[in-house]
Amino acid sequence: MKKFPYIILTFLLCWTTACKKLDTLPPSIISDQDVFSSAAGVTAYMARMYSELPIEDFRYSPERGLNMFWIISPTSATTGEALSRDQNGSMQENTGLSTWSDCYRTIRDANYFSENIGKYAGNFTNDQVNNWLGEARFIRAATYFALVKRYGGVPLVDKVLKYPEQSIEELKIPRNSEEKIYDFIGTDLDYAYANLPETNQVGRANKYVAAGFKSRAMLYAGTVAKYNQISLVDGSGNRLCGIPVAKAVTYFKAAYDAAALLDGKYSLYKKAWAAGDKNAQYLNYVNMFFDASSPENIFVRQYHYPESVHGYDAYNVPRQLMGANGYSSEVNPTLDFVELFDGFPKNADGTIKTTTGGKYDLYTNTMDIFANAEPRLRATVVLPGDVMKGVSIEIRRGIYTGSSVGGINPLLPAGSTAHYPTDNIVQSANASQTPYKLPNGTTMNPAGLSGYFTGDGTNSVSGFSIRKYIVPDKPTSEVLENRSDQTWIELRYAEVLLNRAEAAVELNSLGQSDKSYLQDAFTQINAIRERGGADLLTGTANLTIDVVRKERKKELGFENKQYWDMRRWRVADKEQNSTIYRTLMPFYSANDGKYFFDARLDERNSRYTFDVRWYYEQIPQDEIQKSQNLIQNPGY
Amino acid sequence: MKKLFYSIALSVLVAAGSSCKKVDNYAAPNVTLKGTVTDAGTGKSLQTEQGSGTRIKLLEISWSSNPTPFYISSFQDGTYQNTKLFAGKNVISAEGAFVPLVQVDDAGKTIVDKSQTVDVKDVTTVNFSVEPFLRIEWVGDPVLNADGTITTSFKVTRGTADPNFQQNVSDVAVFVNSNNYVGNNNYDNRYTPKLSGNDANNSVGKTLSLTTLGGALPGKRSYFIRVGARVSYGLNYYNYTDVKEVKVP
Repeated sequence: MKKFPYIILTFLLCWTTACKKLDTLPPSIISDQDVFSSAAGVTAYMARMYSELPIEDFRYSPERGLNMFWIISPTSATTGEALSRDQNGSMQENTGLSTWSDCYRTIRDANYFSENIGKYAGNFTNDQVNNWLGEARFIRAATYFALVKRYGGVPLVDKVLKYPEQSIEELKIPRNSEEKIYDFIGTDLDYAYANLPETNQVGRANKYVAAGFKSRAMLYAGTVAKYNQISLVDGSGNRLCGIPVAKAVTYFKAAYDAAALLDGKYSLYKKAWAAGDKNAQYLNYVNMFFDASSPENIFVRQYHYPESVHGYDAYNVPRQLMGANGYSSEVNPTLDFVELFDGFPKNADGTIKTTTGGKYDLYTNTMDIFANAEPRLRATVVLPGDVMKGVSIEIRRGIYTGSSVGGINPLLPAGSTAHYPTDNIVQSANASQTPYKLPNGTTMNPAGLSGYFTGDGTNSVSGFSIRKYIVPDKPTSEVLENRSDQTWIELRYAEVLLNRAEAAVELNSLGQSDKSYLQDAFTQINAIRERGGADLLTGTANLTIDVVRKERKKELGFENKQYWDMRRWRVADKEQNSTIYRTLMPFYSANDGKYFFDARLDERNSRYTFDVRWYYEQIPQDEIQKSQNLIQNPGY
Repeated sequence: MKKLFYSIALSVLVAAGSSCKKVDNYAAPNVTLKGTVTDAGTGKSLQTEQGSGTRIKLLEISWSSNPTPFYISSFQDGTYQNTKLFAGKNVISAEGAFVPLVQVDDAGKTIVDKSQTVDVKDVTTVNFSVEPFLRIEWVGDPVLNADGTITTSFKVTRGTADPNFQQNVSDVAVFVNSNNYVGNNNYDNRYTPKLSGNDANNSVGKTLSLTTLGGALPGKRSYFIRVGARVSYGLNYYNYTDVKEVKVP
């Protein structure tokens, strides 16, 4: 029986091991403790929030939304900046996208961070914690801005919502007024400005990023207050769509003051710029988009092959530089966009001059007409015959074989959208061409290597191609989808100057004279024009809001900004009302041995009409089904 | 053992078969709602465009006091019809180029509510009588000129005496298209003459004549013509005349 105590002991021992707490977290789940207690953890948390930040970069199109690699329906082909074979009209954002819910997830992440980092403050210095809190506020503000510019007033969530602690009814938060949301964005960005450091890691916000974003957001609010006609008021008197006109001055002043905070902190990129040297100014403008040390870059999103990539080059290079995926020339700038610039022959109404006395002007090379073009135009658009990656980009509509005695008459009546008559013109349906024998015995392909092809449309459909952001030295073997990794510059100093100039001109027109606003706008616009190599303004007398807007279109073209600018100015429905954009078609006259240009309406007859409703995008139906207190925007 | 297997298999089959009984006991929607939106001043139906013109708003209050609205787009001539509705109690109003039937002030208080509460069943007709922002009349028929253009004469007047809805006239246009669906949603801008800004605003009350753009119109076809005008209010709906056809030989 002596064994008995041992058995008891063994039995009891078994009990003690069972006392180990079972209530432990699975080791595969990362807890707050893991993330918030070290700087590396916080950096990882921030990295995710920045990657979710709703900015319209290389991976955005209205058709497919944010953070989507496939951008064959480019934003610029909805605004009239460009034509594309895959985007043939104006559009509001695709209503099936999850932008709304994605934004609220990011807002929750930011709120969660703000509410919880305090518990771990002991591990960090005060400055670290404050900087991070500023960053979280910046991210929240930028996300609310993405919502308000789409939908107007949205539900204001400034703390982490808890379910099931809070009831479903309590969580069906109604929309707040548009004005309140903009004010909230302003307050958050002020907080961010006060708490963020002077400098930060590339791709993260510093205090001037917050100020720059504030100038943008407040400018949007000011223009909505001034130009919006749409009103939607809920049962409690919140104006969900629209801002009282009386607030315009307040917002424009806030935009102006925020922009002025960046004075002296950033500057326009002029590293290779030289006064009077058009080629240097052109190269400088091209380089600006690829120089990591550019003093103009305020807020960027970096990419890096192979882990974080986009396909901007593959989709947009001219046809003759096409990569192995078979994509090319999705963005083809319209003649309307090109005509905004200076430095080529123009008619009295500002359109390009291609005829004299009713007969086409003849040029030896297609680039001759653009010999003195504004350097910024050459740096933004590939003009027919201009050089890219060491080759001349050949764009030719066809060969004119008719008689040229006494000059060539226009091929089509003005305003025609018809196809060209084929009796005196040889053209090509696609890239496998049959060379045409010229009178001097040599042969020439009817169309250029980059188009125009009448059949398949995989070419420059406007007579131009895009240069901005196309990497100048990328080998064709790397022109592939998901192989590009140039940095997206979301906010650059030129935009801040344009924000400042626009706010200043608006304040001047609203009778504000506490500062010399018009003179200041004059200075900023001329700084931008000088850098771009454009003709300078000679005085403030002609400095109207249209001048500022035109400058903005030119400077920020193809940077996905005009999509929103046309909306906040409330001009989209005027600009796009059964509108057909214009193209420039170079022809080679066989008998002259020279080129002529035909400026015409888009031969494909793509009509652009902007529906007035789209100034406030449709709130996704499934969000309304989840939260019936959400009131739909007017007209949907 | 085999017997047991078969009996289990049989009972599974019986269970599966019996679950096929239909439980969807709600009849398919078969109720018709139709009607016309008419101009209170003239008694004629109010012309509009399809898609972004007049639409009828239904709030079904049989189940919920805060329902999601359901909309029926009206035809171009101002009539509407939907033959696949469920029966139910609805608050019905209309939206379009006329003084809103439901108006909310800046404090969110409903100050005007002319919506109708109707038991929609079988075939229900609900008409609305509204005050258009603008009333556009033909002055004679469009004329085919000797030079191959078409000149249209018309007169734009205010359709409402309420000063809150007498905003400036922002656009006047004689829309031209190759089929009878013509309006701001569907027109040919090569031929369509337009007035905007002060020219549009000063046109109120006068007889105007506008001639098609772009010289002689291509022949051997019909053109469909309709005059539209709008004020700067809300979604900038257009008011329209009816459609007239001009044959060009």
